Formats: sequence, structure tokens, C-alpha cells
Amino acid sequence: MTTSISKLAWRNLWRHKRRTQLLLAVVAYATIAIIFFWAYYDGFVGVLLGGQARYLAAPVMVQTEAYYTDPDPENALMSLDIEGELASFEGVRGVAPRLEFQALMRSPYRTLGSQVRGVDPALEPQVSNIPGDIGEGRFIENTGEIVLGIDLAEELDVRVGERLALDVQSLGGSQGAGLQLVGIIDSNILPVDEGTALVHIDEARVLTGVDTATGLALDIRQGDEKRVAENLNAASLLPGGIVAYPITELLGSLMSGIEQKRGSMIPIVLMIALFAAVTVMSTVIVSVIERTREFGVVASLGLNQGQIARMVTLEAIYTTFIGFAIGAVAGFALTALMTATNLMGPFINSFYGRYLSGMAISDQFVFATSITYLLWAAVTIVIAAVLAIVVPGRRVRNLNPAEAMRAN
Amino acid sequence: MKSALLTLTLLFTLGFASAQEDATSVIDRIIDNMRGESQIATLEMTVIRPDDEDTYTMRIYSEGEEKGLTRVIAPPRDAGQAFLNDGDNVFIYNPRLKRVLRLPPSGQSDSFLGSDISYDDLAGDDLRDNFEASILEESEESITLELIPNPDAPTPYGKVHLTAEKPSYAPTTIIYFDQRDTAVKENILSEYAEVEGRYIPQRFEVKDLLEEGNMTVVEWQDADFGVEIPEACFSQNALEREGVCE
Repeated sequence: MTTSISKLAWRNLWRHKRRTQLLLAVVAYATIAIIFFWAYYDGFVGVLLGGQARYLAAPVMVQTEAYYTDPDPENALMSLDIEGELASFEGVRGVAPRLEFQALMRSPYRTLGSQVRGVDPALEPQVSNIPGDIGEGRFIENTGEIVLGIDLAEELDVRVGERLALDVQSLGGSQGAGLQLVGIIDSNILPVDEGTALVHIDEARVLTGVDTATGLALDIRQGDEKRVAENLNAASLLPGGIVAYPITELLGSLMSGIEQKRGSMIPIVLMIALFAAVTVMSTVIVSVIERTREFGVVASLGLNQGQIARMVTLEAIYTTFIGFAIGAVAGFALTALMTATNLMGPFINSFYGRYLSGMAISDQFVFATSITYLLWAAVTIVIAAVLAIVVPGRRVRNLNPAEAMRAN
Repeated sequence: MKSALLTLTLLFTLGFASAQEDATSVIDRIIDNMRGESQIATLEMTVIRPDDEDTYTMRIYSEGEEKGLTRVIAPPRDAGQAFLNDGDNVFIYNPRLKRVLRLPPSGQSDSFLGSDISYDDLAGDDLRDNFEASILEESEESITLELIPNPDAPTPYGKVHLTAEKPSYAPTTIIYFDQRDTAVKENILSEYAEVEGRYIPQRFEVKDLLEEGNMTVVEWQDADFGVEIPEACFSQNALEREGVCE
């Protein structure tokens, strides 16, 4: 009998095509909305983290605790002996030393103070996207060279091929150098274009009097930063006072703000699911009212009220499930299409790049993908089923077949 | 033919070497003229802008190229401020804050009391060590050197033209060019006082050639050269306490 009711419920879907199509559209739309919402939100977080990791900081930075608190070159790493072991650690794809310091940059027209980063040009492309964003000229290759962000170069009014003077307060006193501008970075990311100044790490060592580096940047796959950093800190690899900091920790309070924000999004998603489920339920109620006579006939043919109620509930569940399947395919296809065409990238970069100054917001937006988004959308099915049992199902259970057959 | 060619080459090389040597010795004489003596002096600095003019009176104590203390005496709103050059470090004392601060590299870009002179200018851009000198023009009354910075010289300028009078080799004009051959700053030195064979300028003008009407003039009101200045004068304590240097 159960099989017969299931078959009846299934056939009823296609007997009332317009109603079924409406229900499918509502559930599919809600599913698409939920998938799109989480894919966009997590994608945005990914853009923030990825931008910070690949433009401003690093996926994981190995540095002294003293430097983390007080980023002064005097708190640099004592030695770089751990480089080899770090490179072969599980999850680490590459290691690049960095030496960061404050400097005064002088052109004939302007003088600006700025943070300068000394890098190894052979290793830096592993951990940073900046070397790939040279808009004019080339990346540094030797000492005596410097690359600047495009906005910084414009402010100093210095062109590729011209010399810039750099003054630094080093551990041994004041140092100065004349460096040739060999390349200009044009990343379309505000803090990068306004604040990036890169020199060869050997140049940085001469200028600062530091023989090593202020940190070792590790190339880690996005999403694995925290795990790899925890494993590194737990292993007896790093000397005392040296810690591996994942990008999530380097972001500090911003990261905890992002996580809290995600939690506050959950009620919104539940509201979308509830809205869709209530719509399904409303449509089912209308359907039950309109089909009262039909139910009377069916009851007279041998089905009891409980079985009719079960049939109505199954109709709601089938509709919701099919709508969910359509919405899931369409939702993931939509986010994949949006990623491939990068329709959101320029907007996100333009709007949030100015709004969130100091954050590296790329103009390439990748929607996130996760099976958990389907679970959130599946909540719709559950709520719809529950509501269908409670409200229209109850109406059907209380049906009087004789009265129902006389209904209009 | 071969020997003639060899002789010509030798003469050319010697001549070239001689000219190089002359330019080097000339720059040495010019620089030595400008620096070296200890001095205690009162200066008046006038900062001229198209729509404004401010004048400061200062007392300076300097010894060689490395050490100098400057105290503002007037106007009252700026009086008490003091600046100490100690090698490449610059320290500032502000009487309102009652604190001595070391200027970081970023602060040294700031202009000295809003003038066309930066704190960095007070520490000095070493024309002798960072530039290659050649003679551009020479007459009986004057000589002009062209100074091209060494590739790694910590200077943003493309070249410097330094003119000095003869036979004193007192510098009269220093023009700084950017790397596009445009003159951006001009220093004019005049009213020389002869002190034990050296010629010390008593008037110093700095013109910003990119901003019309912007100029700073420094004039020595009185000066004592070759005086003994207590070592304690060139300390951070001396910034806060007047009278240490006298």
C-alpha cells in the first residue's frame, strides 16, 4: 500500500503541472540563493585571505615572537639554518626569506617614508603574486635595483630607469643607497600599488646591518595555513622564541571579526529556507483546499484520511526534493560561471578596495565550493516536510469524505 | 705613423688625466672652503613664499661636518626649539613637549622650520665622495664643475653644477638637476668673510626652482670662527638646557 501511495503522490505531481512547476521554481530559487550566498561569502573571505597572504603578508610567516610584537629589524631571526628543514616539511611548498625595514625614499621632487621589503627574487614568486604584477619594466634581479607600486612611483614622480635615494637607520647607524627603479607594480590593489617597495635582500642586509631576515615566508595551499602552522609549532623544528604564524593569525582581530560575521549570517540563511518552505506549505494548503472533492472521491475508493495525508506530504517532499536537485545543479553552475567570467571581480575590487583600505582585495573573484552549502539548502526540504505534515496534512486527516465529495 | 698615433694617444690620456686631477683638486678646495672650522654664530633665516614671509633668528654652534647645535631665539612662538646634528642623526627638542626626539628617516624629509632646507640638507649631501667631477667651464674669474653621481650614490639628483670664484675657490652657486635635465634647486652663496685663508659664506639662498616665488635666505648676523666649543654642547642635554654651549 505504501508503494501505491508513493506512486499516486508521484503521478499527482504531473497531473497538476502548473502547481508543481511553481513549487519547483520556489524551492530551486531558494536553493540557488542559499548556495550563491555561502559561495559568495566564503569566496569573499577567500579573496581577503588570499590577497593578504599573496600580496601583503604570506600564507605562513616564521618569525621571532619579539618581531611579531615589535616589527623592528633588531628582532630579526638569529639564523636561517631552518630553511632547508622548513622546505621539506609536510604542506610547505616553498620558503622565501624577507627583510623588512623603514626607509626614507628621496626623488628630486619629493621625499617619502615607507616600509621596504628585501626579497630573494628567485624565491619570492613562490610566496607572492607581486612579481607577476609588474606593469612596466621588470622585477628586481640584483642589488642596486628597486621596484615600486605604481601609485608610490607616481607620488615620488620617478620613472623606470631613474635613480632613487634610500636612507635607512640601521643597527650600525645611518645608511644610504642609490637604487635604480627597474619595475613598477600595477596590481590594481590599492595598498599594494600605494605601499610596495621591494629591493634585493642582499641590499636590505647592507642597509639594515641585519645578516639574516626578519621572517621566512612559507608557500602553503590556501585553506591549509592554520593546520601547517600548528604542525610546525608542535614539531620540535623551530628554535625557542620562533613561531610559525598563519595568515589567519597575522590578520589578528580582522579574522575573528570575519568568523563572528559568518555566525551572524546563519539566521539569514535559515530565513531564506523558511521562506521557501512556507511558500511550499502555502501552495500545498491551497492545493488541498482545491482538491477537497478529489480527496473525497479517493476516500470513497478505499484510502483512509491518514493515507491521503501521507500522499499529500509525499507530494510536498517530492516537489521540494526535485526543486532542491534542480537548484543545486543550477546554483553550482551559476557560481562556476560567475567565477569563469569574473563578473564580480571588478565590482568587488572597486567597491571594497576603497572601503576596506589596507586590505588587499584582488580584482579576481573566485566563488567558493563546498558540499556543506547543499546541507544548508537541504534545511528547506526538512522544514517543508515538517510544515506539510503539520498544516495541510492535518486538514486532510480531519477530512469527512462525504462532505468532501459535495465540496465545490 | 704608428709612433705618431701612440704619442697622440699618450698626450690625450695624460691631458685627460690632468683634467680629471684638476677637477678633483678643485672640488677638494671648494669643499674645504665651506667646512672645517668650528663656529658660533647668530643667523637670520627668512622663508619667502608668494603670499607670505617668516623670519627666524637662530644661534648655531658647529664643529666640522659632523656636529652642530641650532637653537631658535625668535620669534617667540618658535623660540626654545633646538636641533642637534650628531653624525647622521638629527635630534629635536620642543619646549612645549619638553621632550627630545630623534628624527626617524621619514621625519628627516620634513623641511627645517617650513623652509626650503630639509633636515637632511643640514646633515649634508657629500659632493666629494658620491660624485664624479669634471670641469664644465673655466675662466679667470670663475670655474664651474659638473658633478655626476656614482651609480650607487645615495642621491636622487641627475647632476649638480657647482660654480666657484677664482682664485679663492669660494662656491657661489650650486644647481641641482633631476634626472631629466631640469634644474630643481639652486643654492646661492655670497657675502664671504675671509677667515685664516678660508672663505666662509655669510649669505645662503635656497631657491625651489619648481615652485615660483619659493625661497629661503639665511644670513649670518655675527660669527666667531675657530672657537672652542665644549663637547657637552653636542649632547641631547644641551638641547634642553641653554647656556651649556657658551
